[in-house]
Amino acid sequence: MKNNIRVERAIKDITQEELAKQVLVSRQTINAMEANKYVPSTVLALKIARYFNKQVEEIFLLEDSD
Amino acid sequence: MISKLLLPNRFKMIGWCILIPAAILGIALTIKPLYTIPLPEIHAKVFAIIADQILGPTTYFGFTDVELTNTIAGVLFIIGALLVSFSKQKREDEFIANLRLSSLLWAVLANYILLLLTFVFVYGDSFLTVMEYSMFTVLIIFIIRFNYILYRSSKTASDEK
Repeated sequence: MKNNIRVERAIKDITQEELAKQVLVSRQTINAMEANKYVPSTVLALKIARYFNKQVEEIFLLEDSD
Repeated sequence: MISKLLLPNRFKMIGWCILIPAAILGIALTIKPLYTIPLPEIHAKVFAIIADQILGPTTYFGFTDVELTNTIAGVLFIIGALLVSFSKQKREDEFIANLRLSSLLWAVLANYILLLLTFVFVYGDSFLTVMEYSMFTVLIIFIIRFNYILYRSSKTASDEK
């Protein structure tokens, strides 16, 4: 699964730390997700989507290998 | 779910304060015969479930005279390492829980592969030393791996926006 958290973050002009605070996770978690090293839980994916005012599918996308 | 088994974050610092002196004491005890390091010896009569001597009777559920430095170093090391390993991070979340589990898996696996190799390739008195170390290596490998990945994740995070 890939995501465009980094792009959304750039649009909103917030740091990883700020996003982490908003969705109540550690900065490492945001970093790991952006590096595609961690697939978030459904709860976290929904929280991130809600923070960016988007549908989950607009931020998180399945890849062919999934 | 898993966080129920974890201690609050402040115990991590307490753990390091116990672990580091215990590790230094442990290392000093290991190299003591080579460099004649002056270490205090603590002799005491303690309760033992089993205590056997090389030349002498075996005691079950009785009191025995022992030198305690090794025991103290080992006990403090394990307590310190457990506190460091099983205290929450400042912001314990799902990624960190995941990392904790994968590091535990990694540590157990790495430990037994090492132990397997030493079982096959180390014999005699040295093997006893290996057994002594293997009591601690699961926790040591876990702490190193967990903190290394965490450090790597925060490092790349800091140099980009």
